[in-house]
Amino acid sequence: MISTRFVLKRLLLLVPVLVGVASLVFAILHLSPGDPALTIAGERASEEFVQQVRESLGLNDPIWVQYGRFLVDAAQFEFGESFIIQRNTPVSEVLTNKLPVTLELAIYGQLIGISLGIPLGILSAVKQDSFTDHTTRIGALAGISVPIFWSGPLLILLFAQVLGWLPTSGRISVLYNVEAIRVTGLVTVDTLLAGEWEMFISAARHMILPATVIGIYSMALISRMMRSSMLEVIRQDYMRTARAKGQGAKITVLKHGFRNAMIPVITVIGIQFGGLLGGAVLTETVFAIGGIGTLLVEAIKVGDYPIVQGTVLTFAFLFTLVNLGVDITYSILDPRIEQ
Amino acid sequence: MSTAPEHPPDERPPLTERATVRLHLVGTALVVGVGVAVVALVGSALFGDVTAAVDTTFALGSLVFGFGLLGWSGAVALGRGIEAMQDHLDTRTGWTEPDARRAMTRILGFGLGVMVGTMLVGSVVFGSIF
Repeated sequence: MISTRFVLKRLLLLVPVLVGVASLVFAILHLSPGDPALTIAGERASEEFVQQVRESLGLNDPIWVQYGRFLVDAAQFEFGESFIIQRNTPVSEVLTNKLPVTLELAIYGQLIGISLGIPLGILSAVKQDSFTDHTTRIGALAGISVPIFWSGPLLILLFAQVLGWLPTSGRISVLYNVEAIRVTGLVTVDTLLAGEWEMFISAARHMILPATVIGIYSMALISRMMRSSMLEVIRQDYMRTARAKGQGAKITVLKHGFRNAMIPVITVIGIQFGGLLGGAVLTETVFAIGGIGTLLVEAIKVGDYPIVQGTVLTFAFLFTLVNLGVDITYSILDPRIEQ
Repeated sequence: MSTAPEHPPDERPPLTERATVRLHLVGTALVVGVGVAVVALVGSALFGDVTAAVDTTFALGSLVFGFGLLGWSGAVALGRGIEAMQDHLDTRTGWTEPDARRAMTRILGFGLGVMVGTMLVGSVVFGSIF
């Protein structure tokens, strides 16, 4: 049973994280070249009009007043309207449309990573120094070392161009109108909810390559961690006792070893989620999926500051939420953590 | 992931002592930050545009403050996990969660000091804080 005090303490940590990220975003945007008022007004606008825009944005106030206002707005997730990418559209609306794309990618990538990484790590530990172990370790090292912008195009080349099994880009075939059945924004879930099997298969086929690219990296780290953690657990006295009492090797590993070996692995999964969100920027670009990652890059390029602020803080919020989930899982596996 | 206490609960110093140590840590860095901001702004007032210098110094202060705050909360939230991960992967570097927390506290205190110092000098220049 998880104590409310523990969860509250972890939730409180959200505050400094978000204030820290907000401060960093504020500083970077103020230190970067370019004038938001001039960007909104346009290069050919008169000086009076630019001044009006500056006044309306509050850019003429002292910088600490702007900072305070920014923190208050950030606390309410209120970032105003996009002034370039989707002109006059609230940032929250833009993020609501784009966030599910990246989330879907990260979730499936993580699922692939966990479902492959954990069994491979266990196998590698149980068969230490065997051919299987060496192959898995080489695979894990390769997975960590190969960058997404290289593995992505190679997988496209093999599975889409040469074999023709999977589509090269996008989230779903252009023949389908996924907006008509939008509920969660996750196309695989929405198509399932609507009972549109053909659409679901199309969405799933589109998801395989990008999720695999992200999943390979995730799998590599998880399997490596699982291996070392399981190796440590296997050498414990209680494991030897269980075997001495006549328990089968598989049951001993899965019943007694697995739970204890999972603790550091769960930590890695949580820490890695931030990397997955970051990796999604590259994956979205390679597979032409318009998610929050590509939105952020585009916003930085054109100087759409409200979008940059909103996106970065959403990333930070998601990351801390995932880590809260990890902490709770951690305390379920080992209740001593709560002390 | 979790923040296990540095000492067993019965061996920990009293709350007031711990608070004093932390205040001293932040306070010293804050005073240094205020000093640096004042010197930087006075210097820029002598040689250039004060308004731009106030903006830049405050932004730099918030950058340092944000970095420190994020680093501190990161150390609190993930420090033990990172230590455990380094142990498991046999990649220990001597990095510890308490050391990281202390270092980040100093950094955030310094950043806060720069921001406060800029506010003080800026309010003298502009006439009022708001």
